Amino acid sequence: MTTEGGVQYSKIAEIKGPLVVVDDVENAAFDELVEVETNDGERRLGKVLEVGNGKAIVQVFEGTTGLSISGTNAKFVGKVMEMPVSKEVLGRVFDGLGRPKDGLPDPIADKFIDINGEPMNPEQREYPKDFIQTGVSVIDGLITLVRGQKLPIFSGSGMSHNLLAAQIARQASVVGTDDDFAVVFAAIGVQYSEAEYFRKSLEESGALKRSVLFLNTADDPAIERIITPRVALTVAEYLAFELGMHVLVILTDMTNYAEALREISAAREEVPGRKGYPGYLYTDLSTLYERAGKLNGKKGSVTQVPILSMPSDDITHPIPDLTGYITEGQVVVGRDLFRQGVYPPINILMSLSRLMKDGIGEGSTRDDHAEVANQVYDAYSRAQEVRALAGIVGKAGLTEIDLKYMDVGDVFEKEFLSQATDENRTIEETLAILWKIVSKLPKNEITKIKDKHVEKYYQGE
Amino acid sequence: MGKRVILANSSLEKTIDKILDQTEQDVLSNLDGALSDSHQTLDNSVTKLEDEYDKIVADGRKEADKLEKQIVGSSDIEARNKQLLAVEDAVSRVFTKAVEEISNSDRSGDYANLIKSLLDESTKVLGTSEVTVFTNSKDRDVVQSTLGSFAGSELSSETIECIGGVKIQSKDGAMKFDNTIDAKIDRLKPLIRKEIATKFGVKE
Repeated sequence: MTTEGGVQYSKIAEIKGPLVVVDDVENAAFDELVEVETNDGERRLGKVLEVGNGKAIVQVFEGTTGLSISGTNAKFVGKVMEMPVSKEVLGRVFDGLGRPKDGLPDPIADKFIDINGEPMNPEQREYPKDFIQTGVSVIDGLITLVRGQKLPIFSGSGMSHNLLAAQIARQASVVGTDDDFAVVFAAIGVQYSEAEYFRKSLEESGALKRSVLFLNTADDPAIERIITPRVALTVAEYLAFELGMHVLVILTDMTNYAEALREISAAREEVPGRKGYPGYLYTDLSTLYERAGKLNGKKGSVTQVPILSMPSDDITHPIPDLTGYITEGQVVVGRDLFRQGVYPPINILMSLSRLMKDGIGEGSTRDDHAEVANQVYDAYSRAQEVRALAGIVGKAGLTEIDLKYMDVGDVFEKEFLSQATDENRTIEETLAILWKIVSKLPKNEITKIKDKHVEKYYQGE
Repeated sequence: MGKRVILANSSLEKTIDKILDQTEQDVLSNLDGALSDSHQTLDNSVTKLEDEYDKIVADGRKEADKLEKQIVGSSDIEARNKQLLAVEDAVSRVFTKAVEEISNSDRSGDYANLIKSLLDESTKVLGTSEVTVFTNSKDRDVVQSTLGSFAGSELSSETIECIGGVKIQSKDGAMKFDNTIDAKIDRLKPLIRKEIATKFGVKE
């Protein structure tokens, strides 16, 4: 941050959607912050998208509604957008642009950091291998989250992903270490009621103390959504790499982010890619997702759980499709389970945590974790096949072992998958339920677990 | 005949005794079984009871931990918020006092140098000295006397509301630069808030 001011230009050539074209501009820089002043003295923030031939294209974050060509001024501030950061941001609620929303003053800043972040040097990256306990059995047991991982949740409209996001934010912790843990929660284009739910949920559980909230509601200008994940990640990086905390960043809903990107792309008359999203959607998403990780020699970590609602539950839609290329697995929320009233309705057969193998086992969770998880995964998959078969031949046509697998499927959904929104299960409790499920099977069906573990934990006949 | 009756009676007695013995054994064995079953049931219920007891205690602990977190968390936040407001209030008072002192400061001596450096900075930013200069009524004379060093510049007849300093505008009015002391303070404020707060005992 500098104390130098910027030049104010008053020749506005054009206002087009969220963009303002300023004429006769000298010395503007790409990504430079711009203060757009309206006729009645109202100030809005924007940034330079393009410069050249004496013109600058400015993207106005708060929208261009009410702006007119005459009387509008654009002040080029001479710096990129920065977020004031310090440990004081913990327990605070900000809007989508990083301005206080809790009636308190700006945090007293230790530093002002460029919200676009520094790309992580790949050589400096440390492989993520430490377990994060979310208290949600299905995630901890079967799709384990690891510190420094980026694990998205693919959901659909109207499903309970926001409940799950709030539960993870309240309950998440690092076990077996005294290191500080923090949650940075960015709500992007959510309804007011949802934003309030997130705030209250963290406040009432006492988790707000270790959290930072960025709330961009659905009635806030869509363009602000471009900034929200960036300010959130800037704060997360500061807490992780400067203060040595383990930070979990939850971004919901990334679909709204991509919609905002599409809006700007359309206003700039760029050649559209799939479903009208810009061709650089993949690159743009990667600039956010790749800000997760651990660095050699630094104590903290940034773990990301971006949540996106798939339009028409279509997993091949460009947003989940491109997200899946960048991230390390996915947690898929299933419509069928949601309709059955199961919470959290996670379809484990479509879900995967690619880094799970490195974050579980002896020293992290328990030595039998991987094996019992594999066995349950296998058994539930078989249970689904048996259910399909029963739909054709009827239950009477099933063999005794088929019926046992059906039983496993029911116990899995009722006792393991289903969990109250305020139920925080330890990893030991989660593993105990997994063994209860495995124990429904006869010993000769247990093929993925070592005998010594079966001897120790099997509770069947 | 009498002998036969005696024999029949004895055989009947033996049979009855046998049945009685058998029944007694059955009853005793059943009683033993029932006793052992009831012991077993009792043993099982003790384990079950202990499990239930442990579960209730664990749930209670969890609930207590949750409540403790809620209470401690919200009171910490409340205390921190009050401290933030108090510090902000103090910082604002420092700025108000500083602004008051600057606006009442003497316009003689080094002040002309300050105006010159402000004008110098402003014309460099706009890239031309052909500008219209705006200032407040208090600084008009100092500004007017400094403008000689900036060829093509002129002082506007309009005055502006500010503590001091200048605002310049290109002759066509397309470019403006605000270099008033007010604008400088606004830009400086976020940077020096931490130093002021530290003086009030806020930890770094």
